[in-house]
Amino acid sequence: MGPLAIEGLTKRYGDVVALDGLSLEVPSGEVFGFVGRNGAGKTTAMRIVLGVLTADAGDVRFGGTALTFEARRQIGYLPEERGLYPKMRLAEQLAYLAELHGMAPSPARAAASAWLDRFGLAARAREDLQSLSLGNQQRVQLAAALVFGPNLLVLDEPFAGLDPVAVDVMSGVLREQADTGVPVLFSSHELELVERLCDRVAIVDLGRIVAHGTVAELRAGAPERRSVEAPNAPADWGEGIPGTTVVSRDGSRLLFEIDPGIDDQALLQAALATGPVREFHRVEPSLGEIFRAVLEEDAS
Amino acid sequence: MNATPGGRPIIFLVARREVLKRLSGRVFRIGTVAMIALIAIGILIATVVNSKNGPQAVRVGFVGATTTLEPAFTGWATASGVKVSVGEVADVATGTAHVTDGTLDVLMTGSPTAPVAVVQDSVPSEIEPALDVAVLEARLTASGLTPAAVAEAVAGTHVGVRSLAPAKPTDPELGPKLAVAVFVAFLLYLSLALYGSFVAQGVVEEKATRIVEILLGTVRPSQLLAGKIIGIGLAGLLQLSIVGAAALAMFHATNVVSIPALSLTAILEYLVWFVLGFLFYATAYAAVAALVSRQEDVSGAIAPIYIALIAAYVLVSVVVPDPGSTVSAIISILPPFAPILMSVRMATGDATSWQVGLAIALELVSIGGLIWLAGRIYANSILRLGARVGFRDAFRGK
Repeated sequence: MGPLAIEGLTKRYGDVVALDGLSLEVPSGEVFGFVGRNGAGKTTAMRIVLGVLTADAGDVRFGGTALTFEARRQIGYLPEERGLYPKMRLAEQLAYLAELHGMAPSPARAAASAWLDRFGLAARAREDLQSLSLGNQQRVQLAAALVFGPNLLVLDEPFAGLDPVAVDVMSGVLREQADTGVPVLFSSHELELVERLCDRVAIVDLGRIVAHGTVAELRAGAPERRSVEAPNAPADWGEGIPGTTVVSRDGSRLLFEIDPGIDDQALLQAALATGPVREFHRVEPSLGEIFRAVLEEDAS
Repeated sequence: MNATPGGRPIIFLVARREVLKRLSGRVFRIGTVAMIALIAIGILIATVVNSKNGPQAVRVGFVGATTTLEPAFTGWATASGVKVSVGEVADVATGTAHVTDGTLDVLMTGSPTAPVAVVQDSVPSEIEPALDVAVLEARLTASGLTPAAVAEAVAGTHVGVRSLAPAKPTDPELGPKLAVAVFVAFLLYLSLALYGSFVAQGVVEEKATRIVEILLGTVRPSQLLAGKIIGIGLAGLLQLSIVGAAALAMFHATNVVSIPALSLTAILEYLVWFVLGFLFYATAYAAVAALVSRQEDVSGAIAPIYIALIAAYVLVSVVVPDPGSTVSAIISILPPFAPILMSVRMATGDATSWQVGLAIALELVSIGGLIWLAGRIYANSILRLGARVGFRDAFRGK
């Protein structure tokens, strides 16, 4: 299955450029995180993949061929705007959607009940959707994207509104799906989750990809940082050490950024010169920090 | 192409969901019971009216020599199952007065072999044969029994008639026919309005709940639209069929009215008009409903279509007083009105076959046009959430 290849997608709404030549590829078996500010173009790109929106230019391929309507029927899709029939029973609703995606009636019913079970809703299978809490409705929505055994998953903010238990179930499901070879593309603002879950990440801004790769690859471009705690040092001890800058301070703990090519041992010496050093370690930037740095750079 | 192996066709799935949803709804259960109750009440009223002025004995008075006709007449009338009440009348003047004031239906005057029946307008058709035979017997008696005499006697035995107040011929079934026509019009109007609005609400529900974005990943807009219209239409047709069957059964059991307007064929014809009317209105409803995204905007969006349907119902009052007129014929052929008005004129027996054929042809042509238009508007606006989509934008797909 796969890969999903998006190439040069462009979409304008009047003067607003939603997508500006966005390209990415999600290989089979990979969980791919799509991050970016609100309005960056993530949802637009996903809707174009699903065919609910048409691009002005560019194309979407799956397994090397252009996505036809029939191929799109095998995509599990979680739209940004959630929606199911409020007055339809959970089990019936999921079975109906599974049948619409081409499943025969009895496997469809079996899959519906299996997914309800997986999301902890088996006991409520005969209730109408509207009788559930929003969080539980969200679980049903996820089940709706998975119930027919998709061969590609496109999920817009799958973790929004989920409790920690559901987040764990969902994370497990995404990994599991990817392990069976399904490419998984999802967007999220929960960067810690993205960092933990994704094989690769793309940062989108103003309708194009501004950075992408594994989280380690993205980090590789970020400046080196050291956290130093020297409890007896004067407040301004960190100023003026060649090749370093103080990024932040937290009591007697300072965070330094080290210019490329500068030896961090010089910083340690300077710290030791002030007295005891309780802590000296390398700080890896979080995806959130990378994200902010990349967007800042993109803006300038 | 619509289903992968093992799966069922998409339109079938969509339609089945709609049918099941409507059948489990309150409108279906309560509505069906209410419609049948309405018909039962109608039958009850008809029965009461019938028992008051219903099959009464024909009152025949004999004066002078014609009294000899009486035994034969009574015998033959009773034998043929006609209820008569006979009596002798003192003289022609008294009898004529009774006919005039309505206490007597027929006064037999003159000679037994060539009597004259004095009536208000015409001799009740059911007693005519008995009268003829009575006169024939009188003639045979009077002339002996030679074949020639019999033949001669048989010639021209018809009773001469002198009408005191000749009336223009009226259809004795006109009352029941009009009642049926108005009732059929009401049921059709009700069903078209109800099931048409179900289509509109269903279209908007899918937009309002945003489920349409998921559906359109696997269902084409045309399939979704067709499945919805077919499913809701079948539910409506089923409801009307149940009502129609119940009505037929009740008419049959009570034997209160048996006119062509209530035959099985006629009821099937009304159902055909429901189907045509539903396709016409439901398609139009679906198109305009696709332009809005919220349930509260539905009634405003469908108003223009609903007005056409109301107009069709209001025009029933134009057609009923004179179903055979040119005006009635013309308006009953126009597609927005034909489903209701042509049914009315078919019930009264005034629709000629070419008019019905033309109306059906025009209806089908406009349904075809509407499906094309609605499919286009629906596909172009179904994913456009938020503000109401302009008709022109929806048509052009901008």
